Amino acid sequence: MFQSLCRKTQVLCTRRVREQWVRSFMVELQPVEQIVLVREKQDHNGPTMQFPGIWLRDNCLCDACFHRNSLSRLPHGWNNFDTKVKVQDLSVNVEQETLHINWSDAHRSEYPLEWLRERDFSSANRQRYLSHSYRPESQHWSGDQFQNILQKFEYRDLVSRDDTLAEWLRTLAIYGVALIKNSPLDIGVVKTLCNRVGFIRRTTYGEEFSVKSQPGAKNYSYLAEPLPLHTDMPYFEYKPSLTILHTLEQSVSQGGWNLLADAFYVADLLREKHPEEFEVLSRTRVDWADIGMDNGVSFHNIWRAPVINLDADGNYARINHSVPQRDSHFSIPVQRVQPWYEANALFVRLAQEQAVSFKTTPGDVLTFNNLRMVHGRTGYDDTELNVRHIVGGFVDWDIAYSRLRVLQKQQQQQQQQRLRQQQQLQGQKQVESKLLSQVQ
Amino acid sequence: MWTPRFCLKWGPQLKQLRAAVASTQLRAISARIVNDSFIVVQPESEGSAGSESLTYPGVWLRDNCSCSECFHASSQSRRLDWDNFDASVRPQHLHTDADTQEIHVRWSDSHVSSYSLQWLRERSFKDQRQRNYLDDFYRPRTHHWRGADFEHVAQRFDYGDVMHDDRALRDWLQALAVYGVALIGGAPIDKGVVRQLAERVGFIRRTTYGEEFIVQAKPGAKNFAYLSDPLPLHTDLPYYEYKPSVNILHCMVQTESRGGSNLLVDAFHIADRLRAEHPEDFERLKETPVDWNDIGSEDGREFHNIWRSPVICLDGDGRYTRINHSVPQRDSHFNVPLDQVLPWYESYARFVRMARADAHSFKTQPGDVLTFNNIRLLHGRTGYDDTEENSRYIVGAYLDWDIIYSRLRVLKKKLPPA
Ligand SMILES: [Zn+2]
Ligand SMILES: [Zn+2]
Repeated sequence: MFQSLCRKTQVLCTRRVREQWVRSFMVELQPVEQIVLVREKQDHNGPTMQFPGIWLRDNCLCDACFHRNSLSRLPHGWNNFDTKVKVQDLSVNVEQETLHINWSDAHRSEYPLEWLRERDFSSANRQRYLSHSYRPESQHWSGDQFQNILQKFEYRDLVSRDDTLAEWLRTLAIYGVALIKNSPLDIGVVKTLCNRVGFIRRTTYGEEFSVKSQPGAKNYSYLAEPLPLHTDMPYFEYKPSLTILHTLEQSVSQGGWNLLADAFYVADLLREKHPEEFEVLSRTRVDWADIGMDNGVSFHNIWRAPVINLDADGNYARINHSVPQRDSHFSIPVQRVQPWYEANALFVRLAQEQAVSFKTTPGDVLTFNNLRMVHGRTGYDDTELNVRHIVGGFVDWDIAYSRLRVLQKQQQQQQQQRLRQQQQLQGQKQVESKLLSQVQ
Repeated sequence: MWTPRFCLKWGPQLKQLRAAVASTQLRAISARIVNDSFIVVQPESEGSAGSESLTYPGVWLRDNCSCSECFHASSQSRRLDWDNFDASVRPQHLHTDADTQEIHVRWSDSHVSSYSLQWLRERSFKDQRQRNYLDDFYRPRTHHWRGADFEHVAQRFDYGDVMHDDRALRDWLQALAVYGVALIGGAPIDKGVVRQLAERVGFIRRTTYGEEFIVQAKPGAKNFAYLSDPLPLHTDLPYYEYKPSVNILHCMVQTESRGGSNLLVDAFHIADRLRAEHPEDFERLKETPVDWNDIGSEDGREFHNIWRSPVICLDGDGRYTRINHSVPQRDSHFNVPLDQVLPWYESYARFVRMARADAHSFKTQPGDVLTFNNIRLLHGRTGYDDTEENSRYIVGAYLDWDIIYSRLRVLKKKLPPA
């Protein structure tokens, strides 16, 4: 019981975990702020975890509040959620390692220490969660660094091993590009890879697409002319996230090289050295458009968004760049047009400077983040004897990150299991050697 | 470089402006260069609004040259060499042609371009023209409504009309865009209806749960929505960055018990009210990122979806882009500083209270298809008793706005105005 409101309430609990050390943890309530402090006292300077009372009440794990099957909060409590709810008293169960709270609304809740640890509100823990469980932090690279950051994966490993799959997705999240080697020369490879992650993202053009020289084709990218740096489909609010390009046949002519630049790095350069241009490109909304027909269905796609898109924290959310798919409609005040053009021309120049070129060979699958990379291709001569055939598809980040989280969790669990087995094994050996020494 | 087509037109009187000549029906057109960079076009018609002068930045005109060297007609896209684009390009000479209603420009890079007056008008930088384009053609401007006005704003369409008449299709999509809700009646009691409607627009948006989904009481189901308990107001799948845009819910069997009514609220209206009446709450709900999540498995495949985003999302102009609300799918992870937690809860509780108070309830009948904007509306359902004789069976699917707006634009271009 904790009658005194002026004094911080404290419960101290100790428990002998293994023979070697004693783990203790302590809970404490700041009654005015309604903040619950939890400290694990392996040593006395251990960090203090902090939890707002209202959040604890909202996240009660009992069967009346939480639906275990769907791992989600039961919503009915929110029909009349009381934001004035207070912690009445709190205690710990040492054996179970659980925190218990009695609430002013007469409800009682129980939280495992493990669960609390994962959700600690300290800034360090939140940072850990965001960059580990949510979305890995991206690392931007200059053209010079390309050879160092480019990671290659064996197709066979990718389709058969979950750790390779996780590593590939993590690489894409961090560096925005990865190369897959030695895939079969089979039209189904792109779909197989997409299904390995989740499912292929459909667009106005269908699911897989084929990039092959096709004179007179409706889409600009089918021409064998050089294809300047661009992002795909900037005219969608839901722009396809990951581009997967499988080389089935490669032109033996001089051309047909891939061009690639990290536009987040280009944006970093602008931000640092040309802040005015950065400002213009991150604030001016551009009309991106695609007008045409595919399989007899007409479309007229438009999305208005800047070249550099920032989230609320100022991190890059997306880059849009495509000369052919920038609309001639430009819905901004007339005086802002010239400055935008100057800034965009600078962006294009810097992107070209940072662009790397390489030529994929049949069996290669080039994968990159279409929200971040600008890609292109040098021109090539396409004849009947000298063709280039690429099959492509898209996967969205929602789906790719979900898969990565599931895989990371599996890996974590496997690691813990291995660790436990090792400990058990060591324990056994110690006991055996002790027995042995006693016998001797 | 310029094509011979233009060489022929380019007479010796380069700088001269040609007045209307041939017949009286032809209107004169004049143009001039201003400040070395802008081109001002002056159509001369008899005193109507069409004679207003139109100002264009030179660099934009150069960028949008429609000659075959700069523009790829079959893909309707720019092919200008931007790797070497000179943003300081300037117009040097102008020439107008009343016969063709075109202006011809020679640029400092010695390229020559032609623009029809019609094309220029459609791209005028005048504020009013741009606003019309954005609020009608780009994405129709939304009208927000109170629950009490539901019967006035929720338009009803006939399934057969929508499937066979492009005007009905256009009107349905326009109603969805403007009001965020529309009802389609008279659909057959057939599981294929949802797909047929989606394919009439474009294609079904796939999610972790597949394409079509079925909502019926299924005790012990993994997803909360299958229970026949009341389903409080929410938006679907807030844990996606690419949140499915429009719900299509086809009622095939409706429970005869008292429950099973649909609840709908225009959360943009609730946001309007918060903005006006409780600005601090509005501020918190638009600034505080919330972790939305969904952990589970479908067809033996595990997923762990998370998206961090405020309850009220705004674009750079302060317009609503999205509402997120779902009690079950709000993560217990809450990645905000400690001192922001309680204030956020208070604001959120107010939002939920106001939404509940404004919710409109109605009950769809077999053959009804309820369609609404999942980015904007909150929906729910009252509880009902589900027995073998008294069941409820809904087939649903999603469509994305990218695809819907595209279809709507194509229809607007093709059909005479409504
Ligand atoms: Zn509870
Ligand atoms: Zn041209």
